[in-house]
Amino acid sequence: MKVLMCTDGEDFAEDAIRFGGRLAKAMNADVSILHVRPPISPRNRVQLTTARKKLGEWNLEIPGVDSLIRAKEILTEIGLTKTAPLKEEKVSRAFRVDVHGATELHLIGLRGEMVRLRLREGHPVNEILEEADFGDYDLVIIGSRGHKGYSTHFVGSTALRVSDLAACSVLIAKNIKAENAFLLCTDGSRLAERAEIIGAEIAQKMGAKMTILSVAEEENDKEEAMQLTRRADMILSQSGVNAEQKTRVGRPSEEIIDEAKDHDIVVMGASGSSAVKKFFLGSTPLKVIEYGECPVLVIREKRGKISLQGTN
Amino acid sequence: MIIRVALFIAISEVLLGLAKPGIVAQSFMSDSVFFIMGSLMIATALVKQNLDKRIALAIVSITGPRADRIILGLVVVSGLLASFIGEHTVAAMMMPVGVALIKYTHADWRKIRNLSIAILLSIAYGAMIAGAGTPSGGARNAIMLAYWQEMFDLRISYFEWITLAYPMLLISAPIIAFTLYRTFKPEVTDLSPAVVALKEKVAKSGKMSQKEWLTILIFLSTVLMWMTISDTIGLGITALIGVLLFLTMGIVKWEDLNNNVNWGTILIYGGAISLGIMMKRTGVAEWLSHSFLTWLEPTGIRSGLPLLAVMSFITILMATVMSSGATVGILGPITLNIASLSGTSIIAAGFITVISSSFCFLTAVASPACNIIYGSGYLKKSDFLKAGWKLILLSFIVIQLIAAGYWRLLGH
Repeated sequence: MKVLMCTDGEDFAEDAIRFGGRLAKAMNADVSILHVRPPISPRNRVQLTTARKKLGEWNLEIPGVDSLIRAKEILTEIGLTKTAPLKEEKVSRAFRVDVHGATELHLIGLRGEMVRLRLREGHPVNEILEEADFGDYDLVIIGSRGHKGYSTHFVGSTALRVSDLAACSVLIAKNIKAENAFLLCTDGSRLAERAEIIGAEIAQKMGAKMTILSVAEEENDKEEAMQLTRRADMILSQSGVNAEQKTRVGRPSEEIIDEAKDHDIVVMGASGSSAVKKFFLGSTPLKVIEYGECPVLVIREKRGKISLQGTN
Repeated sequence: MIIRVALFIAISEVLLGLAKPGIVAQSFMSDSVFFIMGSLMIATALVKQNLDKRIALAIVSITGPRADRIILGLVVVSGLLASFIGEHTVAAMMMPVGVALIKYTHADWRKIRNLSIAILLSIAYGAMIAGAGTPSGGARNAIMLAYWQEMFDLRISYFEWITLAYPMLLISAPIIAFTLYRTFKPEVTDLSPAVVALKEKVAKSGKMSQKEWLTILIFLSTVLMWMTISDTIGLGITALIGVLLFLTMGIVKWEDLNNNVNWGTILIYGGAISLGIMMKRTGVAEWLSHSFLTWLEPTGIRSGLPLLAVMSFITILMATVMSSGATVGILGPITLNIASLSGTSIIAAGFITVISSSFCFLTAVASPACNIIYGSGYLKKSDFLKAGWKLILLSFIVIQLIAAGYWRLLGH
């Protein structure tokens, strides 16, 4: 499994890395940490390069490397990496420009897994998506400030847009408490089934408690929803995970957000709805990410693998 | 993209029969373009030296450890330097100084976010506002000089320019420092640890080398020549003398100049000047100016100070969305013609266009200084808005007062 974590140096991003680090450790995953620094007009590139060289002469880190080194320290705290503390100079020199426009540094982890620190320049959403694509990652972890409403439209929009546009699974980490209680949401779609399989694996590895939730939009559909939870439970028990089953009636996004208050992380399949429908109605995962209070793991099958069967 | 525009200007001028190829080539490489090219090369030679550490030391030695005084010091020094060697270079030279001050104050800059913003913005805004201080402060100044000379046969010397434009910088510097300090109230007001660390750092790099002294000497003599003999031999040729001295003394290698000068800029400004001259020659500028005055008629603004205020306002709007060089390149021929049609001082109109074009406080992309400082990664785009709107307003008022008082006193 390959995990891409994004940091912008803010506190919430560091919380996300701490959280993602524990997850990656449990899953024995390869980890990359990405920092995207602001795009600079090509007209001023010459001067900016000069300024960066001068920063080197002052023995100061070039911008962005700070955040990456901080992230690396967090991973070491968690016990994911056990590399010797690098001297500052060594880190900046070890950063090399690679073919895909990123600058990177490799570290070898405790169990032989790889940790890469990557630095890109440009618009955050585009660069994260491009990096996720080039690196063929299975999961992107991105922090979010965790405010609701007004400010999410500006501040949290990077996380929101990445979760909508990424070709792989995305974990939006905000208001992180613990990772002991998982809430698995199922709607019977194929991606939900995928979420069940992956969710079960993660829950088992992390030793977490699992609750399965299915939401019926009307009272009449409740029986069907219960059947969905039973089916999900069967899949989970195959992986040796015992789960509590719950059904609710109402609007899916609202019910999930309400139920999630007692849980640490929501696991759900990505929306299968078309772009047009998403534009007008929004999708349930996006609403849960935007208005919910806890981390959301959106499971997606990587593009390309999905084409043979088509979406539900 | 903009390079293609410059090439298109040259080609179309010839193909449309506006001028003979020789004339077009001449308008592309005038003394003003020599001046832009020479100034860029001199700035590159200066930035190659380790003068940033000396400058940092000089600033903190004078200001002491108080945050407000350091911020004022940064604005003033960035401004003084940028007025002679241009905002790009100063932003690149001073950014490490700012970052060093931040890092030495606190290991985690997020704990002193406001101080960091104030320090970095004081460099960016100081350098930006000073671009119009002397003719060598920015390419747009050279464009304006070329317009005055080609269109109205007006010659403004380097020294005259300073007397007319420098007061703006002197008044703005404290205003910028004060506004930044009040808007971003620093978490720490005593920077003693940073000052000590910085002094230690500079002490390690030893005394100033002979090469560094020589650099300063050549630069100062170039400025002196600009002020004295450039009236006869031209600003461009004077700049080239400086460059030649830098090269012969081995202070900078041609490879460095070749790699670090943005040669496209020179072509672009050549194109801008050529376009402006053709706008005048073909009557486009006059027609536009005439329509503009007719359009303004109902408001009762016909000439003098109100007209200058309108020019200033339009220039600020344009400079916020495009580069100041392009703004002056396009607006210059029009504002000068409006002034000439309405009986307003052509000199005042030119200066108000050039100076107002440096009021790019609002965005991280409009001015090179802000853009380079933004590249440090410490600032958010929204930080530019917080103090920017106040500074735009204040600068607008200050420039109108200068136009109404000082310039008038001098007879413009």
